[in-house]
Amino acid sequence: MRLFAICAGTALSMAVCCARLYASAMPEIHGFIEHAGAVKTSDNELVKHGSFNLLEQRLQLKASHAFPVESILGTWQSVARFKGDFTVDEHYAGKTGFDLREANLSMSPASFVDVKLGRQVLTWGTGDYIFINDVFPKDYESFYIGRDDEYLKKPSDAVRLSVYPPFLNADFVAIPFFEPNALPQGDRLSFFDSFQGGIAGRESDRHLIEQPGQGHNIEYAVRLYRNFKSTEIAFYAFRGFDKMPRSYKSESSRQLYYQRQNVFGASLRSPVFSGIGNLEMGYVHSPEDSAGTNRLVENSIFKALAGYEKDLGNDLKIGVQYYYEQRLNYADYMQALLSRDFFWDEYRHLLTQRITKLYMNQTVMVSLFNFYSPSDHDGYARPSISYAITDRWKITAGANIPWGSHETTDFGQMKKNKNIFLRLRYSF
Amino acid sequence: MKITVFSAVFFCLALMTAQARAGEMGADEIASRASRVSYYQGADGRSEVTMVITDSQGRQRQRSMTILRKNVGEGGEQKYYVYFHKPADVKGMSYIVWKHAGNKDDDRWLYLPALDLVKRIASSDKRSSFAGSTFLYEDISGRSIELDTHELVKSGDGYYELKNTPRDAASVEFSYYTVTIDAANFVPRRAEYYDKEGKPYRIIEALEVGEIQGFATITKMKAVDLNSGGSTVAEFSNISYNVGLGEDIFTERYLRKPPIQWLKE
Repeated sequence: MRLFAICAGTALSMAVCCARLYASAMPEIHGFIEHAGAVKTSDNELVKHGSFNLLEQRLQLKASHAFPVESILGTWQSVARFKGDFTVDEHYAGKTGFDLREANLSMSPASFVDVKLGRQVLTWGTGDYIFINDVFPKDYESFYIGRDDEYLKKPSDAVRLSVYPPFLNADFVAIPFFEPNALPQGDRLSFFDSFQGGIAGRESDRHLIEQPGQGHNIEYAVRLYRNFKSTEIAFYAFRGFDKMPRSYKSESSRQLYYQRQNVFGASLRSPVFSGIGNLEMGYVHSPEDSAGTNRLVENSIFKALAGYEKDLGNDLKIGVQYYYEQRLNYADYMQALLSRDFFWDEYRHLLTQRITKLYMNQTVMVSLFNFYSPSDHDGYARPSISYAITDRWKITAGANIPWGSHETTDFGQMKKNKNIFLRLRYSF
Repeated sequence: MKITVFSAVFFCLALMTAQARAGEMGADEIASRASRVSYYQGADGRSEVTMVITDSQGRQRQRSMTILRKNVGEGGEQKYYVYFHKPADVKGMSYIVWKHAGNKDDDRWLYLPALDLVKRIASSDKRSSFAGSTFLYEDISGRSIELDTHELVKSGDGYYELKNTPRDAASVEFSYYTVTIDAANFVPRRAEYYDKEGKPYRIIEALEVGEIQGFATITKMKAVDLNSGGSTVAEFSNISYNVGLGEDIFTERYLRKPPIQWLKE
């Protein structure tokens, strides 16, 4: 699949270049060069030895091409976009890599229709680092080791069709190739591995089984939305797979898999109390275990979120969120468990807080994001400070501080992965 | 006789009241016309803006963007679309403002293309820096004239000078500001902001004024922060009015898919 994406990206970028040459001009290339490192501050013998869990150089190149109006694609206001990252990963002894972030073509074949075809990042929903109806793939490894926020979102190979009739807007997304979340694997970051019976690092030998890319495995996502004056209302539906490997394919061969998942949800975002308030909810249906009686397959879940953000003036902003999660058919699930099984809790409550302050003509940004779960007794602090030294140079420092009293909870399992990171970026 | 004296007194009183009213209306009328010239000319407009921000130590930063604007309805409501070209790390970001009249907070959305994220921006503070420059949001999209009382303090030599005092002093950092307005075309030439101690601390000046499609238009302006020593020069180019922008430009659709036909540098 990666190979496919790289080929597609290369073909598309060549097409872009040829088109540009035809128009006798090379496309403008932009991007950045970055050096990033994250020093481990927890004594973690489980993961790969060394003092860093991130040490890499990254070159991002991006180019776009708007097709000339004489061509058909031009009359459709088409734009081809390409964005790729070349990396040298010192964590793995200078291993080089290429991450194709975007390679897509967007077109407006009719005045009320947009189509975006190819590799693209997909985002919708109203949460801040909390995702209910945004069912698109994330990279939590990048999130925990101190890469830029951009890398929390993984791109999807997808077709996005957007239609804008006068009364309602609609997005239809089809994702033919499943892309799961990127998770800690034990070499950079340790995590809770139920097969190991606790927090595991390199000894983890679990297998994550993806379903084959076949017609009936295509994922579909829909969003219907519109504004009523300043209030935004949206409805969402998704048919696909969980992006987290939460179900057991085979216990004896240590296989987890991504069970089928349908999500139905809604969100509302509006100015309120001189700030912005948002509400979002989702019913996550687990069709492989609708009754909740299969201990190996994740149950259906209800999720809800309420958030509020306010500008306090003088470039100071605060945001708070409350997130609620309830595992449905819980009694049936508990009934089905075997005595030595690790199990999920029925409820999860999560609070978040974000505070951002800008200084020196907005060139310095100080920010603190906190997760805290009173039900899981865990949390995760993300302080950071960045300084735009010039229009091109930017330095960012921060820390990732997950903590918790249990090894099984979302943040508690990450507690040995505390780190301090530093990134230096030159943009062009 | 008695009646005559009474009539004369009445006449004088009536005259004085009328004059006072004319003076008051004059200041409001001037403020209103200056606001229209600065922010509302034509049904819509587009402009490319280059800002050079200089800090107190002489270090310079550059911002470049295309701004699209459309007047909506009669009540002073407007919609803005801002597309960033420079610096490189914000290139491709787009921004929408639905500006409301009076005290109602504007609606703002920011699109971050790297995350495909449409972010709603809490915007109760209109007096924060615009894109890190010495200009404030209110300088770019206009301060609603109902928020201040206006007083004509000087006229003659082809200029009016207005003193503008905020109705809600606690909502802003200045105690008042004066604006010198060209009497011929109502273009504001210079604004001076005074702090709570009555000391000037911020100056905005029109450096160049041109005529575009018959509309008197500021093409170069400068903001100076006397406290920090920083300043910003903004130059406007490729300005055009009444280009026929649809209202749909100012929606999430065009945040995600910038309207390239309007954004060419």
